[in-house]
Amino acid sequence: MSNPLEFEEEEFTTQFNGHTLKRILSLTIPHWPLLVGFLLLICGAAFLDSLFTYLSKRLIDEGIVARDPVALREILTIYGSFILVQALSVFGFIYMAGILGERIRYELRQQLFAHLQKLTLSYYNRTPVGWIMSRLTSDTDRLAELVTWGLLDSAWAIFNIATAIGFMLYINAPLAIIVSLVVPVIVVVAIQFKQRIIVEYRKVRKINSQITGHYNETITGVRVIKALGREESNLAEFGALTGNMYRASFRAAWLSALFLPTVQLISAVGVGIVIWYSGWQITNVNFLGTTLTVGGIQAFITYVTFMLWPVQEIARIYAEMQQAIASGERIFSLIDAQPEIVDRPGATDPGTLRGDIVFDNVEFYYEADSPVLSNFNLRVNQGETLALVGPTGGGKSTIVNLVCRFFEPKSGEIRINGTDYTQLTQHAIQSRIGVVLQTPHLFSGTIRENIRYGRLDASDAEIEDAAKTVGAHEFILALDKGYAEEVGEGGSLLSVGQKQLISLARAVLANPDIFIMDEATSSVDTLTEALIQQGMEVLMQGRTSFVIAHRLSTIRNADRILVIENGHISEMGTHSELLRLHGHYYRLYTQQFRKELEREYDPFAANDVPITSPAPTTSPAPTTA
Amino acid sequence: MSHAPLPVHLNPDLKSIADGSRVQGVWQLAAGYRWPYMGAGVALAVSTLARTASLFLIQYFIDDFLTQGDRTYGLWLIALGFVLLAALQGGFTFISSALSAHTAESITRQLRNFLLDHIQRLRFAYHDETPTGELIQRASSDVDALRRFYAIEFVESSRILFLFIINFTAIYWLNAQLAWISIIVIPIILLISVYFFRIISRAYEAYQEQEAVLTTRLQENLTGVRVVKAFARQSFEEAKFEEANLGRFQRGKHLLLMHSLYWPVTDVLCGIQMLVGYGVGALMAINGTITVGAYLAYAGMLLMVIWPMRNLGRLVVEMSRGLVSFDRVAEIVRQIREPMTEAGFTPPTHLAGELVFENVGFAYGATPAKVLSPAAIAAAHKAAAAQAAATISGSQEQPTVHGNDGLHDNPRDNLHDNLHSSNGSNSRAPGGNGAAAPSKPAPSHTVALSDISFTVKPGQRVALLGATGAGKTTLVNLLPRFYDYTGGRILLDGRELTEYSRDYLRSQIGIVEQEPFLFSRTIRDNITFSVGRDVPQEQIEEAAKAAAIHDVILTKLPQGYDTLIGERGTTLSGGQKQRVAIARTLLKDPRILILDDSTSAVDTETEASIRDALERLMQNRTTFIIAHRIQSVMDADLILVMNKGRIVQAGTHDDLIRQPGMYQRIYAAQTRIENELQKELNRVESA
Repeated sequence: MSNPLEFEEEEFTTQFNGHTLKRILSLTIPHWPLLVGFLLLICGAAFLDSLFTYLSKRLIDEGIVARDPVALREILTIYGSFILVQALSVFGFIYMAGILGERIRYELRQQLFAHLQKLTLSYYNRTPVGWIMSRLTSDTDRLAELVTWGLLDSAWAIFNIATAIGFMLYINAPLAIIVSLVVPVIVVVAIQFKQRIIVEYRKVRKINSQITGHYNETITGVRVIKALGREESNLAEFGALTGNMYRASFRAAWLSALFLPTVQLISAVGVGIVIWYSGWQITNVNFLGTTLTVGGIQAFITYVTFMLWPVQEIARIYAEMQQAIASGERIFSLIDAQPEIVDRPGATDPGTLRGDIVFDNVEFYYEADSPVLSNFNLRVNQGETLALVGPTGGGKSTIVNLVCRFFEPKSGEIRINGTDYTQLTQHAIQSRIGVVLQTPHLFSGTIRENIRYGRLDASDAEIEDAAKTVGAHEFILALDKGYAEEVGEGGSLLSVGQKQLISLARAVLANPDIFIMDEATSSVDTLTEALIQQGMEVLMQGRTSFVIAHRLSTIRNADRILVIENGHISEMGTHSELLRLHGHYYRLYTQQFRKELEREYDPFAANDVPITSPAPTTSPAPTTA
Repeated sequence: MSHAPLPVHLNPDLKSIADGSRVQGVWQLAAGYRWPYMGAGVALAVSTLARTASLFLIQYFIDDFLTQGDRTYGLWLIALGFVLLAALQGGFTFISSALSAHTAESITRQLRNFLLDHIQRLRFAYHDETPTGELIQRASSDVDALRRFYAIEFVESSRILFLFIINFTAIYWLNAQLAWISIIVIPIILLISVYFFRIISRAYEAYQEQEAVLTTRLQENLTGVRVVKAFARQSFEEAKFEEANLGRFQRGKHLLLMHSLYWPVTDVLCGIQMLVGYGVGALMAINGTITVGAYLAYAGMLLMVIWPMRNLGRLVVEMSRGLVSFDRVAEIVRQIREPMTEAGFTPPTHLAGELVFENVGFAYGATPAKVLSPAAIAAAHKAAAAQAAATISGSQEQPTVHGNDGLHDNPRDNLHDNLHSSNGSNSRAPGGNGAAAPSKPAPSHTVALSDISFTVKPGQRVALLGATGAGKTTLVNLLPRFYDYTGGRILLDGRELTEYSRDYLRSQIGIVEQEPFLFSRTIRDNITFSVGRDVPQEQIEEAAKAAAIHDVILTKLPQGYDTLIGERGTTLSGGQKQRVAIARTLLKDPRILILDDSTSAVDTETEASIRDALERLMQNRTTFIIAHRIQSVMDADLILVMNKGRIVQAGTHDDLIRQPGMYQRIYAAQTRIENELQKELNRVESA
């Protein structure tokens, strides 16, 4: 399988990837009115921020120093109306940028999800579910953040600095030029800081997930810890982990804490320059022919003091942009992944899959150096039931996966009714095959919804008929809400046997031409097993069926039994033919015979768990990274 | 901070945090770090003072230096003074942040350590009742919410209050009338911000819930990809996903609308307050009530009084959530630990391993036979009540992880089955968001064992035979005192079992489970897990060889003994896991052994090698075998056939085979199977 490192979460490309950035930004193109709208509004807001400082200057110079209450009122009126304008633009840009962000999130997810539906099983086999999930959740979030708040904040920051410098130049050009020199210094220092801080927080997150992992293990394994008396050393190990956490968090915290004072100090030097310059200018000869008023001094001090905020925003966005680009790269790698099985041009739908199925010299491998099937030849007659038996990893599932065309042969052909099945559409094949998996998968929702999955336009009566056919009707009715009962996430509220019955009903409803069943190895109670058996028989009638079989009755009832070992058919024939060989089948059969009868003759069977038993409490843990 | 290798940072007094009110608890939790935290507060105040002082410096500069031409201090001195005040401000901000980070991180570290230790020492009954996800969530996200309380929320609120108090006082000192005029809007802003953030926080929860729905749909689609493809339901799935995605989009929009209203509304309010202040201040300056410099200083102070207030509402809402998290953590802290030692117990020099059960009974939820002090009983009731409350409040939370129980045949399942067969109803888990197994408070008395009497001599083998839920696991769980029996007594080497400390008993008892729990670490660590000291490689290999796992480790595992196993490493088969557990137990060398003998999940070859390994393990140890098949009980010294918590038959194989009863039926079945197999084979041969 592929290198697990490929799926590490916290890998970041250190290189600045302009191409990816361009692709990320291009996501906004369909929504350019929103983009242009919020950019204009934020620039307006940034301008107003600077204008307010200038109005304060006029208020001091023209109102207070000039002792003119009329001018004062006039300026305050202008100020007040601009505050209202400002509020409107704040409303506008928050709303527009936010909507844009939500749209992009929404669309990226739709696009990714639709693409995922096209990808082949081989992609899923080599890609952890948690990895894919993170692409659709945290990575889309990061991209949306970048193209909305990231753009917004940087536009604000740049425009704010620009207008502030503009006003300063207007008030006093020489001083403006001197204090502007502070800006690049702050920017460089700020970016240095932010990058380091981000690295520290990444460490903190990593240790944090280790801590959660340790909790998880302690709690799930608490009985073993107690039994082995491991409390002390377990705590000591955990203590080392929390110690690391303390150090990493503390370091990240003080580094962050150092950032603002440092930048503030640099801007304070700027203010110092303003004071010194203005004092010098007033006390000495008017050097350059410009005078700095009291209001002007105040305006300069305000501009310089507040300049560190836009700078800090720029530094933050710059640091986060690298993460967003890494997210973008991963998202695009998913979007760019090509499905390995695509419908050939001119692929047709024959309308039925009834007919003989022929494996002609089929070769298949997941990895080039280890063949799973080679020179595999098999002819299955229409309506025949095949039982596939043999050791795990022998190739049984591969044969079934090939029939479903989840994979295609690497060489050789599979013909259905005489046609190479790659000449058919995938939909034509898969919509006519009914599959019941070893670990039945249900979807959150009601039992009815889950059965209806087999045929979406089925009526409630048809659903109940399907359930009756496989003998699931009784247990469903015994549930509190009957067919409207929720099955829980992945069907976790039902027992394995119940899930299997529902997936059989689902397959019955689909009325497939070919039926495929992977029998469960885990034991279900006798009654349920009988029901499952009966349901299978209904399904197999008149249909070409492939059963990866574990139960004796299934095996015995098959038209033909194939013992699959190491990618070959090692034995083939009917039950009695194979028994007489005294080979693999003989051993498998006698072993299974003892096991099953032991269960059947179990004297405790009276206490057997009935079919309406509570679900096993295990459910798959979310695999989100 | 100390760099010396310290013992684990653990404050055993943390138990007291759960005794008083929330506020007391939050104060208790900070024990040992209160001085640095208060230092952080002082530093914060100093830095705020320095900031306000720099405004006074500007006032001095404008009024005295520029206007009145006072040259007491040189121009460069004033400029330098400004830089120095900024340095002071920055320096103390840094000190304050560093101290509060130190405090918050230390408190969290101490709490995390305490919780882990506490959790692993809680009673078995507690773990039976509490879903794994629930505990993990409390230990991680709730602890993190508390960390934010100390690190951010409390500090930020203090900062805003300091800004307000210091600047308000400064303005008051400039002009009292002006001071009162400057804060008219503040109560309104506070009210609006608390109101808004409560709504926003609710909207955010709704948004998060929808996000969870979306994630679930996605996960189900991905894990069920075979079903989706097999039924060619891609477009149906897309529509389903789109519905969830759209729902999220709409809730996001709603949340956004809240924010886009809150900020401009408060902008306008703060703006009006600012203008009123500016206007009145300017008029005073024109009238000469205050100087121009004073006006400038005032303008600066006004900003610091008004604007930060908008965030106070958010902090108040977040702090109240932090306190809810505190309650959830305190609920765990309140639980009673399993005492590991017993007063007056001195370990015997040698444990022979003779066990006598006299009329032993056990009921889940009942008080152990050993009398508890009234105080302990009261505490237990209090804890139970609190736990019930917490179960209700916690039911909206989604546990993130659902764990395996470790012991497969655990008493909770048995209990579950018993409950089930007794009332026959369909007691399924209630809906909710799926993954959660509901916390099921045990009914006050569920009798699991009664009238258990038998004697085992040192080194003998006892086999327990019976259906699931018959009480086999419950019986062996009494030996390491995972549960204390509630009736009769058990004597170990003539001494009542409850006199032995749990610590000691567990060091003398080895358990090999049906589906052993291995830890996600190396094979070596897993084997030496029970020893608590460094074990030489030869000894590890010796144990592994005896457990018939040595060759597998060397040939099948990529890094031999250093191979990481579990989720992040190599997955072992059921039989391999079992043999690692045997090696682990061999190294522990216990006097008493408990075996859950199920080889149903492993194939024939492995079965034989496990059988050999088990045989070696059982030598010279008093052994209890939870048996599922007749082969594994035949050579036991004592076979106990159990049904519904009672022993229905006892004796050796030879005894029992002659008595009519369950054992005979089991044995008969076995012979019947062989006969039938032969018959079947003969039929085929002759056909």
